[in-house]
Amino acid sequence: MGVMRLGYAHVRVTDMAEAKDHYANTMGLYETLSDVSPEGANRTFYKAWDEWDHHSVVLEEGGVGLVKYGWKVQYESDIDDIERKAQTFGVTVERMSKGENPEIGDGIRFTTPSDHVFEVYHDATLIGTEVGTHNPDAFPRHLVGVGVPALDHSLITAEDPGMMDRFLTEVFDFYATERVQTSLDDDADIIATWMTSNNQIHQLAVLAGPQGKLHHFAFRLGDWTEVGRAADLFSMDDVPIDVGPTRHGITRGQTVYFFDPSGNRNEVFAGGYLAYPDRPVSVWTPEKLGKGVFYHARELNDAFTSVLT
Amino acid sequence: MPNVTIHPTGEVIYLEPEETVLSGLYKAGYAYTIGCRRGGCAICKVDCRAGTFTYNRPIADTVITAEERTDGTCLSCRAVPDGDITIEMRDGNVRLVNPFLRQINDKARQRAEALARAQADMAGATTKE
Repeated sequence: MGVMRLGYAHVRVTDMAEAKDHYANTMGLYETLSDVSPEGANRTFYKAWDEWDHHSVVLEEGGVGLVKYGWKVQYESDIDDIERKAQTFGVTVERMSKGENPEIGDGIRFTTPSDHVFEVYHDATLIGTEVGTHNPDAFPRHLVGVGVPALDHSLITAEDPGMMDRFLTEVFDFYATERVQTSLDDDADIIATWMTSNNQIHQLAVLAGPQGKLHHFAFRLGDWTEVGRAADLFSMDDVPIDVGPTRHGITRGQTVYFFDPSGNRNEVFAGGYLAYPDRPVSVWTPEKLGKGVFYHARELNDAFTSVLT
Repeated sequence: MPNVTIHPTGEVIYLEPEETVLSGLYKAGYAYTIGCRRGGCAICKVDCRAGTFTYNRPIADTVITAEERTDGTCLSCRAVPDGDITIEMRDGNVRLVNPFLRQINDKARQRAEALARAQADMAGATTKE
């Protein structure tokens, strides 16, 4: 089936101690490894409680913003398939070896037309979820903070979101679930696109903006109540809330946007309807963009399009 | 303790010790364009025209360039004044959105100034003896 999910988000943080406090004690991620990169940067690897692979979030000390994303494919052969499709699209692809990323197998690496680094891999060290597989309980009893179950999706910016829509369609076999367009005309420009490979409402969204930037990466939650509780915890821990709790018109997801201690935007995201490739794409036009992004305020705040790392 | 003067309007805002410029202005009822409040997005830059400040956290080179570290650029969410400073806003003016908080800040500044004067008088009296 090709790409199954966003396997890991690898981001830079200015201060590892503060970042660890946020991702471990506020978000409730489980640290699986702490090391020093070949370049000499401190790194910390995390998984969430309902994830089974070794890590889904990597923090690297020094700077802010995105280092790269890892995309996990179902079959080893999917790597060759994506390599071929990326080359056909005109992208230079390099091979990466097992161990270049701790606990991650062989794969490929390339820079997208949006100037983001993507890695594609099939093998990751299996740790298992915190509830196991044998008669598992509903959740771990001693979750910390928000206690997010999993990494969910990310939003990046690109000068040409239409190009990224084509790239993700042709190379990753993604399809768009929703788009923002300049108009309903066939030749309208794409301002933003929400894309996925399966029933998840979006795995990666791309918004018009500068190349190579991170808008946010999001963790999954179950429902409104959990989103509200997360916001309460952000107040307790002095986490700056950007927007919310509110709903997105686009995806119908319930959300809080907030910032980590280095200023990288995070999100907790619940809900969103089931996506299918044959479902007609929802199209939003600029006059209703505010409602599309923030369903209750119905206005885009200036931070949504300008605050990036 | 530090006063932040906003050029060219001349408004003076009193900051608690160790408080950032951004935090001080917001607590005193002012608003301007800000983003992450954690040093990552670079939106809240102002220009420092007089006085010096220190960043209370490491700042990424992508946020403050080497040049900006010496040209008066002040990332207001991470900048703690060393003493009184004068700043100038970049995009649009700072807006007073909460006069109630402004009054509280004025009183705090007057109290701090009165205390500093009293301490100076005491010190002066001690020296004479």
